[in-house]
Amino acid sequence: MRYIGWTLLITFWVAVGGLLHYTLPQRDIVRIVNTYEERQELGDWTRVFWSRPDTQSDTLINRDVQFIQTVRANGRPMVYRNEDTGWSWPPYFKFDTSNLYTEAADQVSTKVNPEWVLITHYGWRNEFLTVFPNAISIRPVDGPDASKGLPWVNILILTLLAAVFYGIWVRWRRFRRRRIDPTLEEWQDSFEATSDAIAQKRGRFRRWIDSWRG
Amino acid sequence: MFRVFFIVFIALSIVYISLSLYSRSRARARLEEEWGEGPRDLPREAYVNAGLKAYDGSLRRKLILGVYVVPMALVGLIIYLTNFA
Repeated sequence: MRYIGWTLLITFWVAVGGLLHYTLPQRDIVRIVNTYEERQELGDWTRVFWSRPDTQSDTLINRDVQFIQTVRANGRPMVYRNEDTGWSWPPYFKFDTSNLYTEAADQVSTKVNPEWVLITHYGWRNEFLTVFPNAISIRPVDGPDASKGLPWVNILILTLLAAVFYGIWVRWRRFRRRRIDPTLEEWQDSFEATSDAIAQKRGRFRRWIDSWRG
Repeated sequence: MFRVFFIVFIALSIVYISLSLYSRSRARARLEEEWGEGPRDLPREAYVNAGLKAYDGSLRRKLILGVYVVPMALVGLIIYLTNFA
């Protein structure tokens, strides 16, 4: 029983953590190499890793998606998708995909003469599932070691979430102490009282039987 | 887009209605308590009704409209920051 509880608890918190890590904005310093469009199949469960820019896109099984190819400061590649989130989840309300595509194309640079940019994005890159993070904004920075700034949005959201979870936890504990624990104790008391009474009765019965044995 | 607006509007309306009912009942309870502690120179009903009329015009009641205003402002801010900043 205790293992089931722990498993549920850990699964829940891993899911919450994963969702937050996927959804909250992150910043990378990269050099843009190229931009391209590619038709993507959206027919299977990995559909959840693509956006829903408008209501029509719900029923499409494939469509063209824009991509931004970059190289990070450590020399490893990173490819971002560039899609509207529209009014759907996650609530970035991004509508300027075409503008962002233009900005990205405007800042393409070479290895010899690099122009470093800060890309704000959400999402994960996974080669096996063909999953790409979604670029939200692009801003030029001084160099590969430039400061990424404080993640204000993440600090704010995580603090608020922690406050909400703490509030729920405190109320749950109070509810348990006031309502559930006394009821359980009552049950236990009445159960013990009943079994005592039964034992007593049986004792009397036994004595009566014994009296016949002589 | 309109579907999202509609769903959010319904959800916020439920919050708004429950919150205003709750706040009004709290105001009524407070008035009744006040009447119990006070000089009682008005009948209880009249005192509570006068107090509730004052509550209906109060800023506190209008602040509940923040249920609609705050999310709209937040969405507006996010749209500005994502697309135009």
